[in-house]
Amino acid sequence: MDLSFLTVQVLSALRQAAFLFLISSGLTLIFGVLNILNFAHGALYMLGAYFMYWVTLQIVGPAGFLLALVAAPLGVAVIAAVIELGLLRRIYIQEEIYQLLLTYALVLIIDDLAKIVFGPEFKSISKPEILSGSVTLFDGTVPVYTLLVVVLAPAVAALLWYLLYRTKTGKVVRATSSDREMADALGINMSALFTLVFAFGAVLAGLGGALAGPARTVFPGVGTEVIIESFVVVVIGGLGNLWGALIGSILIGSLETIGIIVFPEFEMSLIYLLMVAVLVVRPWGLFGRPLKVKALSEKNLAMEAQEISPVHFAVHPAVRWAPLLLLLLVPLFAGRFYQYLLTQIFVASLMAIAFNLLLGMTGLLSFGQAAFFGVGAYTAGLLLTKTGLGTLSALALSPVVAAAAAGVIGFFCVRLSGVHFAMLTLAFGQLIFTVVYKWYGFTGGDNGIQGIPVNPIPLGGLGDIDIGSTQSMYYFVLAVVALSVELLRRIRSSPFGATLKSIRENGQRAAYLGLNVKLYQWTAFVVAGAFTGLAGGLYALMEKSISPEIIHWTKSAEPVLMSIIGGIYTFVGPAVGAVVYITLNSYLVAWTEKWALVLGLVLLTLVLLLPGGVVGFVNEKARQTLGKLRCIRKWSFSKSATS
Amino acid sequence: MAFLELNSINTYYGRSHILFDVSLSIEKGEVVSLIGRNGAGKSTTFRSIIGLTPPQAGEVLFRGERISGLRAFRICRKGIGFVPEDRRCFPDLTVRENLEVAARREKETAVPWTVERIYALFPRLQEREKNLGSQLSGGEQQMLTIARTLMTNPEVLLLDEPSEGLAPLVVSLLADMILRIRKEGVTVLLAEQNLHFCAKVSDRGYVIDKGSVKYEGTMSDLLSNEEVKEKYLAV
Repeated sequence: MDLSFLTVQVLSALRQAAFLFLISSGLTLIFGVLNILNFAHGALYMLGAYFMYWVTLQIVGPAGFLLALVAAPLGVAVIAAVIELGLLRRIYIQEEIYQLLLTYALVLIIDDLAKIVFGPEFKSISKPEILSGSVTLFDGTVPVYTLLVVVLAPAVAALLWYLLYRTKTGKVVRATSSDREMADALGINMSALFTLVFAFGAVLAGLGGALAGPARTVFPGVGTEVIIESFVVVVIGGLGNLWGALIGSILIGSLETIGIIVFPEFEMSLIYLLMVAVLVVRPWGLFGRPLKVKALSEKNLAMEAQEISPVHFAVHPAVRWAPLLLLLLVPLFAGRFYQYLLTQIFVASLMAIAFNLLLGMTGLLSFGQAAFFGVGAYTAGLLLTKTGLGTLSALALSPVVAAAAAGVIGFFCVRLSGVHFAMLTLAFGQLIFTVVYKWYGFTGGDNGIQGIPVNPIPLGGLGDIDIGSTQSMYYFVLAVVALSVELLRRIRSSPFGATLKSIRENGQRAAYLGLNVKLYQWTAFVVAGAFTGLAGGLYALMEKSISPEIIHWTKSAEPVLMSIIGGIYTFVGPAVGAVVYITLNSYLVAWTEKWALVLGLVLLTLVLLLPGGVVGFVNEKARQTLGKLRCIRKWSFSKSATS
Repeated sequence: MAFLELNSINTYYGRSHILFDVSLSIEKGEVVSLIGRNGAGKSTTFRSIIGLTPPQAGEVLFRGERISGLRAFRICRKGIGFVPEDRRCFPDLTVRENLEVAARREKETAVPWTVERIYALFPRLQEREKNLGSQLSGGEQQMLTIARTLMTNPEVLLLDEPSEGLAPLVVSLLADMILRIRKEGVTVLLAEQNLHFCAKVSDRGYVIDKGSVKYEGTMSDLLSNEEVKEKYLAV
């Protein structure tokens, strides 16, 4: 290795680290103070790049470039301030997951708005001439722009240090990030501070976008990759820790550069592998420490608004099975499109209900369920295409392999809780995704597997069932899903289910009662993984082709969205959410190109207006009405008794 | 009109009712004790006053002005300082920074608290000025949380179980400090389980049990009232 090569590579690693630091420092700052993992941070980065693009088009030349570099982050800050004041502020008392969902809805909205305003194509931002050339450094040719970035980022880091450690506001920010309530009681205006920090974090994201824009390209959705990389950085460094973000950026930046040279195939896998390794050894990241459990009063307030446990609608089994009967009759009057749509809904419902065993029941937000869905789908897909195994046997192996994967992954994940748990599941999910995506020899890489043969199912001496047609597939999937859902329902109402709920309500107390909390959580994780794998297997059968997209983290977001739409504290909630989500999705796609925008707005409305989900809302209304009825009955009864 | 007055406040955590018609009345310049066992409602009373867990019925008046319903930082800025029982120093900030973040002066008080005056009162804190909050001993943390709250220049100081978990020597040091703080013109409401500690520093006390006030009187009366002591304070 010669010096010139080394120089070029080191500077390239530092440049990557610089971009990562700019984005993740804002992310970690916002998390530290507001306690929100801001999914929209990548979208803010994208806006920074677009503003840069727009301003440099208006004013060409070095002056325009310089102006854009200042104006773009400020523009992003204004938008962020509006978001905080108008939206985020309304849901601080809700549980964290709703804040996460709100920022996710913002991603969908901002991405689509960017598409409307700037168009769907890739944009490149031109640099002024003095920044376009390159210089020779230690015999290596280095672009001037790289040097600029590599110098600017440490300057920003130094400025951040000064602001946080040498100004009163900075000290207040640090105080607040360790104890919000105490800061409040000491006369610090939280609302104002939250707006300030959110906007300031956005400035950093915007600056990252503005600086990275000319070096990379910008297009709608560029934020989704950027945000995941920044999650990796801040989680490795320790959530909320600025120095962690700095070290994490340098680590990831170097690893990406080395990865491209040494393992070009699996460069992205490397960073997730590093994240997994760090979290396994140091669960809270390199510089992090365990997050404080929310103060009791705070948590209670949130629970009060959400929990609907006092109502138990004892549903008669006949009523419970009635929808199934109805679904059995559907193919008699509905065409193939509706049968296909419903089949999709069945699969999604199974995935969502299984997922909610973790979220609603156990209080664990898994952001890597797509991994188990994918493992299930690829198990069935690979077995059917590469071996002579029968359809049923292949399908039966899907949950088994998925459960095994969940067993291994869950072993590491249940040692963490809250947002760290979510991030580790995300890392594992993405690790599997990147491997499947690149492993052409085995998984078909990004081509996926096409033309999965679905052979008729032999019924002993009674002939075969062919599930090749839409209608027979409809019945087949319905049968499997109905059985699985019934199983899940029984699990939920079993003592095991009750134990999971007690862990969700207060894990510490459950542990004091002698329960092995981690073992229960692990079991729930494996069960959820198995049913998710089964859903994946069904998906492979019905679609007859699979691709790695089904393992991408955006797919993991789907059961989260469905569960929240329907209501996480109810059993059928996630299924209702699946109906809403899949229907919206397929109709919106047909009706408008802006489906993501509409979906985002729907989510936003739901979070703000129906935080208990659709089913939660209906239950609550029913409870109120029932309560009133009971009051009236009691009242009239007592009246008649006294008179 | 009392300086700080609680008129039958009722406070809830979620659905559980914690405080039942608690009424207190504190005159300017007094040190008043709120005595009760673990879980009697002392901390909740303080959280209700400062606005962290606002009461759902009843009202808190400060200088005759209603402060219940305001947010915590506003109540602090009106001149009420809260020292929580679990000594929540900011662990990542140095001792000096802990003091600096709290510094505020809303009114023209005669002699405002400054870091220097705090160091004169708590010399130990000056020695540990550059240490992080997380590196202090229990007694030092207690001093720091009191000092930090003083930096907001409060007229009323709510001290929640300051003697809890401290060595006897440190406790008597603490008693001296409370008396010196009182001398500076700060009114103190002290929540305690330790009756003898209260007797050292305060003139009047309320006994609270199961979320309601059971007894009110001078400390000397309370000390000689075996029945009340037996019923509400004996462990």
